[in-house]
Amino acid sequence: MPKVTINDRTVEVEAGTNLVDAAIRVGVQIPHYCYHPRLSVVGQCRMCLVKIDGMPKLQAGCSTQVTKDGMVVRTDVPEVEEAQKGMMEFFLINHPLDCPICDQAGECGLQDYSFKHGVAFSRFQYEDKRTYPGRERIPLGGNVLLNMNRCIQCTRCVRFTHEVAKTGELGFFNRGARAEIGTFPGKELNNPLATCVVDICPVGALTSTRFRFAERVWYLDKKPSICTGCEVGCNITMEHRRGDIKRYKPRYNIEVNDYWMCDFGRASFERYKTTPRLTSPRVRAEGGNGHAPAAAPAAATSWKAALDAVHARLQAAQGQAQGQGDVAFLGSGFLTCEEAYLFGKLADAAGSSHRSVPVDVGPEWTIPRFERPPISGREQAPNRRGAELAGLAPGGEAMTADDLLLGDGAARCAVLVVTDSDFSRAAYSPDTVAKLRRAKLLIVFGWADSPLAQAADVVLPVAHHGEKEGTFVNVEWRVQRFARAFPPPGQVRTTVEVLGDLLGRFEAGWANLSPGAAFDKLAGELPAFAGLRWHDLPATGAALNVPGAAHHLPDPAAEAASEASA
Amino acid sequence: MAFERVLTRNVGKPEALTLKGYKQGGGYEGLAKALKMEPDAVIDEVKKSGLRGRGGAGFSAGLKWSFIPKKKDKPKYLVCNADESEPGTFKDRLLMEYDPHQLIEGCAICCWAVSAATCYIYIRGEYTKATAILEAALKEAYEGGILGDSVMGSGFKLDMYIHRGAGAYICGEETGMLESLEGKRGQPRVKPPFPAVVGAFGAPTVINNVETLANVPHIIVRGADWFKAIGTDERNTGPKLYAISGHVERPGTYEYPIGVTFREMLEGCGGMLKDRPLKAFIPGGASAPILTAEHIDIKMDFDTVAKAGSMLGSAAVIVMDDTTCMVRSVARLAKFFNHESCGQCTPCREGTNWMELMLKRIEHGEGTEQDSKILLSICSHIGGNSLCALGDAAIGPVQSLVNNFQDEIDRHIKDRACPFPHRRYFETGFENGA
Repeated sequence: MPKVTINDRTVEVEAGTNLVDAAIRVGVQIPHYCYHPRLSVVGQCRMCLVKIDGMPKLQAGCSTQVTKDGMVVRTDVPEVEEAQKGMMEFFLINHPLDCPICDQAGECGLQDYSFKHGVAFSRFQYEDKRTYPGRERIPLGGNVLLNMNRCIQCTRCVRFTHEVAKTGELGFFNRGARAEIGTFPGKELNNPLATCVVDICPVGALTSTRFRFAERVWYLDKKPSICTGCEVGCNITMEHRRGDIKRYKPRYNIEVNDYWMCDFGRASFERYKTTPRLTSPRVRAEGGNGHAPAAAPAAATSWKAALDAVHARLQAAQGQAQGQGDVAFLGSGFLTCEEAYLFGKLADAAGSSHRSVPVDVGPEWTIPRFERPPISGREQAPNRRGAELAGLAPGGEAMTADDLLLGDGAARCAVLVVTDSDFSRAAYSPDTVAKLRRAKLLIVFGWADSPLAQAADVVLPVAHHGEKEGTFVNVEWRVQRFARAFPPPGQVRTTVEVLGDLLGRFEAGWANLSPGAAFDKLAGELPAFAGLRWHDLPATGAALNVPGAAHHLPDPAAEAASEASA
Repeated sequence: MAFERVLTRNVGKPEALTLKGYKQGGGYEGLAKALKMEPDAVIDEVKKSGLRGRGGAGFSAGLKWSFIPKKKDKPKYLVCNADESEPGTFKDRLLMEYDPHQLIEGCAICCWAVSAATCYIYIRGEYTKATAILEAALKEAYEGGILGDSVMGSGFKLDMYIHRGAGAYICGEETGMLESLEGKRGQPRVKPPFPAVVGAFGAPTVINNVETLANVPHIIVRGADWFKAIGTDERNTGPKLYAISGHVERPGTYEYPIGVTFREMLEGCGGMLKDRPLKAFIPGGASAPILTAEHIDIKMDFDTVAKAGSMLGSAAVIVMDDTTCMVRSVARLAKFFNHESCGQCTPCREGTNWMELMLKRIEHGEGTEQDSKILLSICSHIGGNSLCALGDAAIGPVQSLVNNFQDEIDRHIKDRACPFPHRRYFETGFENGA
């Protein structure tokens, strides 16, 4: 492999690597706007000019490839700095400099490079700035709004629609200083990945209508997380202010979503804002066993009282003879692996083999990837596979999710534990709620005050995925960890905490379990997770060792069933 | 100075427009001779002749042809650059309108030399007359067995197409032309890869100017040594067309051996208009830096003009007398480059616009004393940093304005107005942005 020397630091790179990428390897940042690792190289912003020994002119770093040994590159010489100053001046003379009202301010390429490479004053004093009258707020379609005045004509968005989304709605029109971005006549930017153009826009020209004016970006706390929109498990940064999620942005993971995510996933946090929240544990005074449902409203109570009640009911059910009714656990694809594992342990403790995870199939979302086939997901939950692996897979004669949701399995239950009030779209169907309600005692964990939670005898409010940490297993059996973005509100606790408390009542040693400890226990126990440890889990996730588990899709019967119930 | 007209020998002979007439004048002998030679021998002959590209850059034509890979895995193309759209340049039009077969012959020889089976003539969209004439000539050439499945009975297959541009100067840049030819937005590509490796439709491509190709049949017929004998020295050989315009008595396209002095040329076209004194001249089209009257004895060849700080370019000579406002002239050129910049790369897109605004401001008497310094600084930021050569072209006139005519800028600033009389017939459409 050829060696290249950049600012006196030598690095060996693959032949064909461009200088911008090579420089990053030695810790040198070459400023650039139009270059993006997944888009074709056009070399048109001219910000990445570098000095190469033996070349009379400065060369664009993005379009210069390292092909043979001995290239000597400098980015810290006066010529390069002068050129960068010149380019910054060119970018800014016609830029409106409306940072105070621009959404991009704080994460703007122009601001960053101005500080680093620009000059503090303007020589463009007597001329009028070029403007695009009437092109300040152009809805391109989807959630994307274009302000042509701010555009620096890097054409990343145009290349994205042509090369990644392959829909080609955007074009580069006109010439010279009048050049502009726009949609082709009769087309609008409405592909499923459309909002990615907002992410790759280095300036404030393209903004998302969902995030527009929602928050100044420097007030946002950003945490690495995973999208729960579907089973792909796109890596995201969850950006919130004091627990109020403002947006999801894709986070680079070459194995899963590359640099992209779909618009559907981007909007998936909005349910946390629109769905009413469970805030305190509720227990129906008389207990549901044997009584007509909803005889008395479930009343708010303390966690201790609620968990004691659950413990007592489960123990009682376990003590009862066969035929008195079963104890069943209805899992959820929204549970983390650790939670599912602990639910499995709880089911063991309650002597129940009836456990299952419903499959909720919806529209297919596809993310293109680099040098890999595109990844697509149809299940509307991020972790159905993980939940089943970690201990909620039905076995033998056990009741399946379909028995509970479509059949009359619930009627045979003395205790039915629904692990997530929001387990699938079915949770909002009155028929499903009525079916599940036929259990003698209905215990619901969850964050959403859904119709199911309202019908339950015991309701335990737990954190949603922004408020907890854990692991999800995606459609390609890759286990990925996500971080907690902010603490749960009020009395809400995480499921792992609650289950630790509950399991501790059956058997000492489970209380105060952290998700990390739960994951390590799980990894020690399950062959699929063998060798993995919470703290060593790679940033890109780890492929699980599941036999015959390549791209797995639910069987048609389950699919039809799920659609019927939806 | 006595010399023989080579390229323009058929100008004024309407019969040369037909295949028969052209053949009678010795036409297609070069092609017939070339087809009997090995392709490499043709390239060597052209290389030996010292023929340099007539489009502006002055790159050795034979060398360019030899860059085409010999492998046969991909088709190869010849694209003839007839998108002549620089202000003041009108030499190729003459060649196409008066001697279309000469161009077709040159193209065919080049195709044989680089084994290209397809040739595109990318012609400027406004050249409707030249297009019609070329099309008629092509039709005749096909019918006469010059083109098609077997070129002059040799078995060599060659197709030639005319592709009309749509009015963009930037499509005269070679990679911009290829993009346009492929049906895309006409804007230059990143180089490398150069067209000789990845050109039209991803295949190796030779791109030559009309005048360059028109020289080729004569080199083949009469030999490289004959060609080399014309001109100043080893590096500047052959006949050359000069498109003379501006304040001269008889503007037009003139053929001289390369290296004729500017004074001779001026005399040849009847001298200065109304015998007014010469103030400045542009030796090579809008992108060449302006030379002052003291260079009147300059030899008009590639190297001498370059040594004087300008370039021969397309040899479009624009002559200006003492009534010319240099600021206004350069502002007009800056307007052209601003209008024709493709808008891809930052320095050219923003810089040409800024220069135009600034020069207009100076012309209107609103200049400041820092302006010259800022103009030079903009030029230095554009020069060498832009994606294609248009940026470098745009700064030529501006730099020479500041370097050679600083006193005029100062007078504009001091008088707060243009000190020159306004001549309406030269400024049509300038003020209202047409």
